[in-house]
Amino acid sequence: MQATLPTAPAFDRAAERARVQQERRRSAMIDFSVTLGTIALALLVGFLVMLIVGKDPLLAYSSLLSGPLSRSNRTGRWIEDATTLIILGLSVSIPFRARQFSLGAQGQMFIAAMIAAVVAIYLPMPPVVAVLLPLAAAMVVGFLVGLLPGLMKAYLNANEIVSTLMLNAVIVLLYDFLLTNVFTPPGSQSLRSELIQPNSMLLRLTAIFGVNLGRANLAVLFVAILVIAVWALLNRTPFGYEIRTIGANEKFARYGGINTRRTIALSFAIGGAIAAVAGAHLVLGVHQRLIPGIAAGLGFEGIVVALLARNNPLFIPITGVFYSYLRVGGDIMEQEAAVGAEIVQVIQAVIILLLTAQVLVDYVKARSRRARSVSCAA
Amino acid sequence: MEQALQVIFSATFIAAVLRVTTPILLPALGGLVAELGGVANIALEGIMLTAACAGVLISVATQSEWLGLLAGVAMGVLMALVLAFFHLNLKADVILAAIAINILASGSTIFVVFLLTGDKGSTSALVSKQMPFVEIPLIRDIPLLGPIVSGQNLLTYVAFIAVALVAVFLYRTRAGIHLRAVGENPEAARSVGINVRAQQYLALALSGLLAALGGVYLSMGYVKFFARDMTAGRGFIALAAIFLGGKTPLGTMIAALVFGAAEALSVQLGNLRVPNQLVQMIPYVATLVALVVYALAQRQRAIARQRKFRQAQAT
Repeated sequence: MQATLPTAPAFDRAAERARVQQERRRSAMIDFSVTLGTIALALLVGFLVMLIVGKDPLLAYSSLLSGPLSRSNRTGRWIEDATTLIILGLSVSIPFRARQFSLGAQGQMFIAAMIAAVVAIYLPMPPVVAVLLPLAAAMVVGFLVGLLPGLMKAYLNANEIVSTLMLNAVIVLLYDFLLTNVFTPPGSQSLRSELIQPNSMLLRLTAIFGVNLGRANLAVLFVAILVIAVWALLNRTPFGYEIRTIGANEKFARYGGINTRRTIALSFAIGGAIAAVAGAHLVLGVHQRLIPGIAAGLGFEGIVVALLARNNPLFIPITGVFYSYLRVGGDIMEQEAAVGAEIVQVIQAVIILLLTAQVLVDYVKARSRRARSVSCAA
Repeated sequence: MEQALQVIFSATFIAAVLRVTTPILLPALGGLVAELGGVANIALEGIMLTAACAGVLISVATQSEWLGLLAGVAMGVLMALVLAFFHLNLKADVILAAIAINILASGSTIFVVFLLTGDKGSTSALVSKQMPFVEIPLIRDIPLLGPIVSGQNLLTYVAFIAVALVAVFLYRTRAGIHLRAVGENPEAARSVGINVRAQQYLALALSGLLAALGGVYLSMGYVKFFARDMTAGRGFIALAAIFLGGKTPLGTMIAALVFGAAEALSVQLGNLRVPNQLVQMIPYVATLVALVVYALAQRQRAIARQRKFRQAQAT
C-alpha cells in the first residue's frame, strides 16, 4: 500500500515513437500473414477442386507454381503481365480508398489503348516524345472517362457499379467498331491496325539483357514511378488525406469541411488516368498495334491486386507480381496439364471472399494478440 | 426508315420484346426484393450464370427439363445464400463479396463446361432440354394479340406473373412488410422484435430464386445451350432497371420492358445492315441515360418535398 500517488512518468518522445512504430509494424505483419494464409487456403481449395474432378493435381500445381520460371520467355510473360496488373491495382486503389467501387478500369484501358495507338500511328514524332505524347493523350482521355461516372456518383448519386460497367460495355463495342471499320487497313487479312511508329515502341527487355524475355518492356519503369506517385498522393498530400477521410467516414468528412463531391469525382478520374497508363502499355510496349480484345479479361484483376494489398500502394507491386505469377502459371497449367486456366479465377474469387470476410480477419488478429499477451505474461 | 418503323410496330417485334425482357425482368425483381431488404445484390449476374449452367448440365444428364429447372434454381439460391453467409455472418463487404461470386460463377462454369465437353465456348455439343412453349387456346387465334401473348416460353409467363406475386408479397404479406421495414431502417426493425438477419437471408434467397429463373430461361428457353458468360451484363442491366423503376415492382417491369425493347430493336436494326456494334450499344447507353434521368428525377422530387415543407412551415 503506497500512500503517495505515482508520479507521472516523464514523457519519453523517442520511446513513445518506437512503441507506436513497433505497434504499426506488428499490425502490418499480422495483415501480411493473414494475406499469406488466405492465399494458401485459396490454393488449397483449388487443389481440392482438382482432386474432386479427378485431374492430376500434383502435375497441374507443379506447372502452375513453377511454370513462369521454367523458360525465359515465360518469365518475360510474367514481367509483362505484372506490369499491367500493378498499374491496374494502383488505379483501382485510389477510388477504393475513398470507398467508391469504380469498376471502369476495363473500359478505360480499351479507350486509352485506342488513343495511344492513334497518336503513335498517325502523328510523326521524334524519339522520347513519341512515347510520352501518346501516353499523355491516353491519360487525359482516361481521366475524362473516369470523371464521367465520378461526376454521376458525386453529384447525382448514380450507382457507380452500374454506370462504370455500362460504360465499359459501350467502350468495348466502340473499340470493336472502330478497329473493324477504321483502324484495320483495307485489304488486311486479319483484324488489326498497322504497327505503331518505331519511335513509339517501348524498348523490350530482350534487347537490353540479351535473353529472350518475350514482350516485357521498359514500362516496368512506369511502375516504379507510379508506385511512388500514388503513395505520395495518398499519404503526403491534402487530397490524399481527403480521400482517406472520405473512405473512413463520408459524413464526417463532409462535416469536417471537405468538398466530398469534388474529391470523389476526382478519385474516379485519377484512377482512370492511371488505368490509361496500363492501356497505353499494352499498345506501346506489348502488342505495338491494336488487336481485337486488347485488354479483355483484365477488368477485375486490378481489384484482386489492390485488395490483396489492402489498397496500400507500397504493397501493390508485391501482390501484383504474385498474382500475375498465378495467372501466367494458370495458362501454362492449361497447356501442360489440360486443366482449365479458369481455376485461377476460382482461386481469385476465394481470395476475395476470405479477405473481405471481416469476422475471419478479426478472429485471426484477436487470436494472435491473445497469444502474444499470454507469452508476455509467461 | 419506313422499313424500321414497320418492324417496330409489328406483332413479331412486340413478341420479341417480351422474349428479351424476360431475362432482365426476373433478375430485376430479385434485385428489387434484395434492395428493399437493405442489401444491394450485385451478384445477380453470377447467380444467373450458375443457374443457366447447372440447368443445362442437369437437363443433359437427366434428359428432363424440369429437373434441370430445379437444379438451376437450387444452384442460384445456393449462390445467393453463400453471399448472404459471407455478408451477414462473416461481415464481408457485400459489394466485394458479390464481385467474388460473379468471378467464381464465370470461372467455375467455364471450368466445368471445359471439363465435361472439352470445349470452352459452349455446351452446344450436348443435347440439352428446353422449357416448354405455351400455346394458349382461344387467345392464340385473336389477331395481333394472339402471336404476342400466346406461344411464349413458360418462364416468360412466370416472369410477368412474378411481378404481381412480388408486389403482393412486398406490400400485402407480413413477411414482405417486415422485409421492407428492415431495408428502411434495420435498427428500428430490430427494436420492434424483427429478426433482421433472418429477413435479409430471406431477401437474398428470394433474389437468388428469381435471378436463377432468369438464368435458366437464358439457357433453356431463349436458346438451348449454355455459352460462357452468356448473361452478358443482364444482371447489371437488371440492377439499373430497379433504380429506373423507382424501386417498385410495376416500375421495375416497365423499366425492364424499356431495356428489352432497346435490345430487341438492336437485333432488328442489326438485320437492316446498321453496324452491329453500334446497335449493340443501345441497351447500355439507354441504361446510362436512365441512371442520369432517374437521379435527376429523384433530386427534383427532393426539392419539391423541401419546398412543400417550407411552405407548411411558413403558414
